[in-house]
Amino acid sequence: MKRTVPLVLTFIIGMYPIFAFFVPHRIASDLNDRLDTWLIIVAAFALPLGAVNVFMINLSKISQRRKGWPYSIVILAGLVVMGSIGIAGAYRQDSIGQFQYLFQNIVSPLQSTMFSLLSFYVASAAYRAFRARNLDAGILLVSAIVVMMGRIPFGDMLSHGSMTPLSEWLMTIPNTAAQRGIIIGAALGAASMSIRIILGIERTYLGSGKD
Amino acid sequence: MNLKKMLFIDRRIIYLLVAAGALYPIIRPIGLPVIPTKPVAALYDAVEKMGPENAVIVSFDYGPSSEPELNPMAGAILRHLFLRKIKVVVLALFPLGGNEEAKSELNKVVDEYDLQYGVDYVNLGYKEGGQAVMKRMAISIADVFPVDVDGRPTADMPIMAQAKNYSDISLLISLATGIIGEWWANLVNPQFGVPVSVGCTAVSAPKYYAYLRAGQMMSLLGGLKGASEYEKLLKDGYASVRQTYEKPEEKKASATTGMDVQSIVHVIIIAFIVFGNVIFFATRKEGSK
Amino acid sequence: MRRVLIFIVSVALGALLSAPGRSQTLTDSPVQALRAHDTPSDAGRCITLTWTAAQVVPVSVLRATSPEGDFETIGEAVASDQTFADYRAEDKQAYYYKLGSTAGEVTVYSSTFGPVFSKSNWLHTGRINALVLTVLMFALIVVYINTAKKGKPLFIRRIAGLAAIDEAIGRATEMGKKMLYIPGIMSISDIQTIASLAILQHVAKQSAIYGTNLEVPNKDPLTFSAARETVKQAYLEAGKPDQYKEEMVTYLTYDQFAYAASVSGKMVREMPATNFLIGSFYAESLIFAETGQFTGALQIAGTADVPQLPFFVTTCDYTLMGEELFAASAYLSREPVLLGSIKAQDMTKAVIMVFVAAGIILLNVGFPILRNMLVAR
Repeated sequence: MKRTVPLVLTFIIGMYPIFAFFVPHRIASDLNDRLDTWLIIVAAFALPLGAVNVFMINLSKISQRRKGWPYSIVILAGLVVMGSIGIAGAYRQDSIGQFQYLFQNIVSPLQSTMFSLLSFYVASAAYRAFRARNLDAGILLVSAIVVMMGRIPFGDMLSHGSMTPLSEWLMTIPNTAAQRGIIIGAALGAASMSIRIILGIERTYLGSGKD
Repeated sequence: MNLKKMLFIDRRIIYLLVAAGALYPIIRPIGLPVIPTKPVAALYDAVEKMGPENAVIVSFDYGPSSEPELNPMAGAILRHLFLRKIKVVVLALFPLGGNEEAKSELNKVVDEYDLQYGVDYVNLGYKEGGQAVMKRMAISIADVFPVDVDGRPTADMPIMAQAKNYSDISLLISLATGIIGEWWANLVNPQFGVPVSVGCTAVSAPKYYAYLRAGQMMSLLGGLKGASEYEKLLKDGYASVRQTYEKPEEKKASATTGMDVQSIVHVIIIAFIVFGNVIFFATRKEGSK
Repeated sequence: MRRVLIFIVSVALGALLSAPGRSQTLTDSPVQALRAHDTPSDAGRCITLTWTAAQVVPVSVLRATSPEGDFETIGEAVASDQTFADYRAEDKQAYYYKLGSTAGEVTVYSSTFGPVFSKSNWLHTGRINALVLTVLMFALIVVYINTAKKGKPLFIRRIAGLAAIDEAIGRATEMGKKMLYIPGIMSISDIQTIASLAILQHVAKQSAIYGTNLEVPNKDPLTFSAARETVKQAYLEAGKPDQYKEEMVTYLTYDQFAYAASVSGKMVREMPATNFLIGSFYAESLIFAETGQFTGALQIAGTADVPQLPFFVTTCDYTLMGEELFAASAYLSREPVLLGSIKAQDMTKAVIMVFVAAGIILLNVGFPILRNMLVAR
């Protein structure tokens, strides 16, 4: 029963959107729209679950003075402050302004900073990885340099305007062909996995592969 | 000289040089020329053909992490749309910050023009649901967004009479990070026939070329380069925009200034790659002796 | 008599010339051949109008429930668009349509068309090609699963990233350091996350058997719940339920870059011996992979997000690309039934490749028939 009910539910809920994709009749589409809405509601209820876990783990870390416990205070303080101001914004106009202030002056710069790390990491990864060890690596290296030069004005300045068209050609022809091949393969893999889950052949998401 | 050691140069040296390369053009702007490419010019040309009888959706599908790349793009596109007096419907489908980005960029740009909210433009705010929202907008946009971002009813707004559903929309522009831009291109365009243009971060641009080639997108603005190309086209076409971008705060935040930084950093990375390969081949030669 | 006649003709002429909003004859309408039909392949309540017109002039769309009834304006269109969709029709209700074009004070109407009824359709005719491919795939899966059940051996090529999992776990055990497993940043509704959990199950079981420390930080609450159950069950199956600790599987934050910062900090402070980066990733992929590379960890990555693959390939020791990720559960368990489904997937890909090749050839000789057949709406 513990495994049968989830498997039956998975089959029904999994087959239904496939059915509704091919059968546009209102009988099919109304319930399908409702399933989309239910998924959003379930996901929304999962957020408090995560928040409770954050509280429990970090409170336990603080009480037991485990390694890094001061940072747990920072985490909990951030959660409480942003969370309570955000919720208060549903009732008080000035809380919306406070939330936006915190978002624009703390959250937004922090996120931009983390994203900007990528520029440094790309540099170190490129230095380490782009070595012409063999023909394939050499082609990759040349393509990377052409595309990088094609994305900046220097490329056209040095090549009398030919770098950008060459870069665009690399992006639109070989790159697109490779992307399409991988996308088709990945889509088939995902479809196959989905069918296995729907038919109950794949059961790892239930917590175990065996009964 | 220990060549082998130089193969594994301390990455902090690389980071320092990249940081220096990024800072220099901010302190002393270079002003490198920008050449617009076809995927970007396609959007510019399409907007140039439109006027007050057209309605365009601009969907803010990105958050603060993509702000440096996509805010300049958003600013340039909104300015162009308002200059052509096109009706602009702004919305957001990205949960973590899309709404905030839409509000801040829209509010900044509308101050430059004589526009009336609810008549010339509207901000419908954020709606949860992704693809489900996109599908329902085919029937009625006002039903999906019964109130705007500030809680005002949308049904009676004059602009919504010109943007009832997708059949009234001349163009849909998604400023996207992540998968939402793909949904517009592979769900909304083939099923409902709305022309779609996507402005995305540079790292996402390669995957969108497949949709561009297949005709599911009519244009693509990739990263800061795409934004700078659009700014160039706009500045060449409209003297008022040129003046706007001459103002210090706009100049600093513009994609064109950002391209100086990108250019220098790209050159530094390429220099390191070439240097690394020279050392690699030198050590191989040494090893074979 | 003559004066009376002149008077009547004058009055008639005056009435004709001065009447406001006078309708002209139908031949003056910019719209011709108005037709209406139920919109195909939809859930009903929609009628599509089509007409022929060349002029770029606005037209009003009018609708009534009887040919002599009151026509009300239901929308506006441009004559040259030659199509309009009425989304507010009620099923099984007869409607009559006409189009009006106003120039100054004169309104010209097209002929009236009707009755037309909208209805819900049972089959989306634009997706028959997708239906055929779906049925084909289902059929192939059933055939190959039956073949596998009969005991016929099915070959699956070596996948380096999956073959290296045991080596990676062994490395962490020998070094006495922990393993970090990152199941991607998307929710359990993403198929990549489910595939990642299948691999997590294997990794957790091996870590229970060898007594290796395992940590699974999560970004999504639903994934966190599923991962916790997966790891707990794996320890139970390995016969080591007492070794399972709640702190092994944690939820950090829903924010993408806050999660990236937290996990990167963990990598730098705790220096895990092995990192698994398996699932759906976006921009934070390089932050994880490069930080892990910096700490000297053995890294096995796997994703079907194509833009992230280059970052993983350049920074990780092994990368599962696209469908290799989805083949993991079959590969690791070697269960015949699962292997059969992989075989069926490969056969479907072979069919698609044949269609692509044939389509390219036919298109280049001037026959776009295959391309037109494969377009789905």
